[in-house]
Amino acid sequence: MVDLARVQKELQECNRDVGVSGISVTLKGDSLTHLIGTIPGPLGTPYEGGSFKIDITLTDGYPFEPPKMRFATKVWHPNISSQSGAICLDILKDQWSPALTLKTALLSIQALLSAPEPDDPQDAVVAQQYLRDHQTFVGTARYWTETFAKTLGTEEKIQKLVEMGFPEAQVRSTLEATGWDENMALEKLCSG
Amino acid sequence: MEDYLSGDEDIYSSDQEDSLEGLENEESDSRWASSTGNSCKVITKESLLVAQREELRRVMDLLSLKEHHARTLLIHYRWDLERLFAVLVEKGKACLFAEAGVTVLEEVNFGSSVSSLTAMCNICIEEVAGSDVTKMDCGHCFCNECWTEHFIVKIKEGQSKRIRCMAHKCFAICDEAVIRKLVSKRHPDLAEKFDRFLLESYIEDNKMVKWCPSTPHCGNAIRLETDDLCEVECSCGLQFCFSCLSEAHSPCSCLMWELWTKKCRDESETVNWITVHTKPCPKCHKPVEKNGGCNLVSCICGQAFCWLCGGATGRDHTWSYITGHSCGRYKEDQEKKAERAKRDLYRYMHYHNRYKAHIDSSTQESRLRDTIKEKVAILEAKESIAKDFSWITNGLYRLSRSRRALSFSYPFAYYMFGDDLFKDEMTKEEREIKQHLFEDQQQQLEANIEKLSKAFEEPFDDFKAEEIAEMRMQVINLSVVTDTLCKKMYECIETDLLGALKFSCPNIAPYKSKGIERATELNGGRSTKANNNITCQKAHDQTNGGSIELVQPSGSGTSDDSGCSSRKRRRTENSGGAFFDLNLPAELIDRN
Repeated sequence: MVDLARVQKELQECNRDVGVSGISVTLKGDSLTHLIGTIPGPLGTPYEGGSFKIDITLTDGYPFEPPKMRFATKVWHPNISSQSGAICLDILKDQWSPALTLKTALLSIQALLSAPEPDDPQDAVVAQQYLRDHQTFVGTARYWTETFAKTLGTEEKIQKLVEMGFPEAQVRSTLEATGWDENMALEKLCSG
Repeated sequence: MEDYLSGDEDIYSSDQEDSLEGLENEESDSRWASSTGNSCKVITKESLLVAQREELRRVMDLLSLKEHHARTLLIHYRWDLERLFAVLVEKGKACLFAEAGVTVLEEVNFGSSVSSLTAMCNICIEEVAGSDVTKMDCGHCFCNECWTEHFIVKIKEGQSKRIRCMAHKCFAICDEAVIRKLVSKRHPDLAEKFDRFLLESYIEDNKMVKWCPSTPHCGNAIRLETDDLCEVECSCGLQFCFSCLSEAHSPCSCLMWELWTKKCRDESETVNWITVHTKPCPKCHKPVEKNGGCNLVSCICGQAFCWLCGGATGRDHTWSYITGHSCGRYKEDQEKKAERAKRDLYRYMHYHNRYKAHIDSSTQESRLRDTIKEKVAILEAKESIAKDFSWITNGLYRLSRSRRALSFSYPFAYYMFGDDLFKDEMTKEEREIKQHLFEDQQQQLEANIEKLSKAFEEPFDDFKAEEIAEMRMQVINLSVVTDTLCKKMYECIETDLLGALKFSCPNIAPYKSKGIERATELNGGRSTKANNNITCQKAHDQTNGGSIELVQPSGSGTSDDSGCSSRKRRRTENSGGAFFDLNLPAELIDRN
């Protein structure tokens, strides 16, 4: 059985300092075995500004077996499958130790985002691009971050403008017209 | 040391010993097996612990370690003491321990913190009573519940042999006693499994020990005492090649044997022939052979097709032309291919037929054994004739032994002089010369084996005393000749054929007159503690190659010892009992 008491403690502990680490873990449904972790893209990387969701499944053996983690947000990275989101990280496999926690695992994933290991790739296509055409790699990674890691941000933008009193359909179309630039959209909404 | 010397003196000079071996395959097989110098041992479920005790002991003594640390080291170094000691000499103790995950902590003040009333377990994040936590050798301390869970998961994952500490980046291997204690509280059966895994590491991870490949499995493993490639016989009766674990196949090398069995299984030559000589009908896909006539072939299903391209055609044709059909034909290559396939098949059949014939004879001869025993019983019942019929048993043994060598010499020759393995190793001329040389040997052996076999077919239970005496002389002579010829054939194989290869050097199990060695039961304690001290001392004294010396004495040294002593014993029996073996040639008896 999953050690639910420990998971609960971990959640409390982790969400206590979301402000500092930016890392949070929330429940996916009403079960403590399916969780969503969120990590901010590290500064100074093509992932900066993105917010990455990670699908976490705890097996019965947790914490004696590693948690199953997978990127729910699409990401362009040599050690993460661009198709499935599978993560190639030793501590999620044989180097897992029960002394590690969900938060430390997420921190390690965040560290992996800043320091890819193209020699031990999960996604061969990305890894090749990383090694041979770094410029294009950075471009693609940044584009993917913009496109996928900020999509939920757009919902928040809509939410924000709706809360200001504008009708949702109008907000959406204006945001789309301005390329999701909330300031320009606000100006446009106010002016007309 | 004295012991070694006296042992040496007592060994017969080699040629004497050889002729003895050739003749002395006496009545009870087990007796000679145990006296051949025990170069292999049977390890049963019961003796598994005893078998590894010595290695453990030596590591424990030399490095002053506890047993579980010694085992961890040995498992890491795959029970290869030589390598373990080499690492010790080269890199030092600290590195040796670190690589294997052994942490030996001096007893520092850790005690005080543990014995405090409660402690925080970092795994379950609970406060637990100080009595419910366990500190590993590496110093990491967690609650017993968590340890137990961790061990159970790891054992179930099949990692019993190397269960690491729970702390992140701690590579220490956990104390097996702690694991056993904690796991058996919750899961006694799993603890048992754990113990078995640990014990069996001695077999699984050790290149000198292998499971007997018998099916159904006899439960035994065989330990070699020396590195030599050889064939062994398990106490369950199965004879096998220690190197590739298939049936004994000398003088074939393991690779030759693997290729040969595969070839025989696939009947790949037949398949080969079919693909070259037949074409699938384009309609019903059955292989069709062309046995003459023009290139328009019709299948029994009624479909006509062009033999050259295999395509379906109409029936209207002349000798050289099929109406409405044309395919660029390039005939030469096709013919060559057919030629080669045919030649290969005939070659294979030549060797296979002979191999098979001798294997069959061998089976028949082993059946003959029973009828011969009956005949011997009849003879023994007759008062008038000499009672000793060990020459019959010996002769029969010689027959089966050399028959086996002969049968396996055919697949050997197939590969030795074929294109599969050594095509570039010798010129065509060289190969021809060598093939003649080898075939000469093989033929001589074959002829004598047949003579020996024929001798046993005689209705000798009706023989008179003189006839028996004559047959006895014949059988004894033939046995000696056959044995010598076997040796010569092996000599030819080992030096002139395999030994002369430039690029590869395949190994084969050497010929032993006494046959495949039967592994002896392991009896506890191969070496004494004194012996250990000597070997350790030696290691310190010698700077070069010390690690090799280290391992040898207790292994081969002691086994030599026992080999000698049993030989000695046998000899005294012989002389003391005033018997002398009638099978021995006169000059040997004189020397005795």
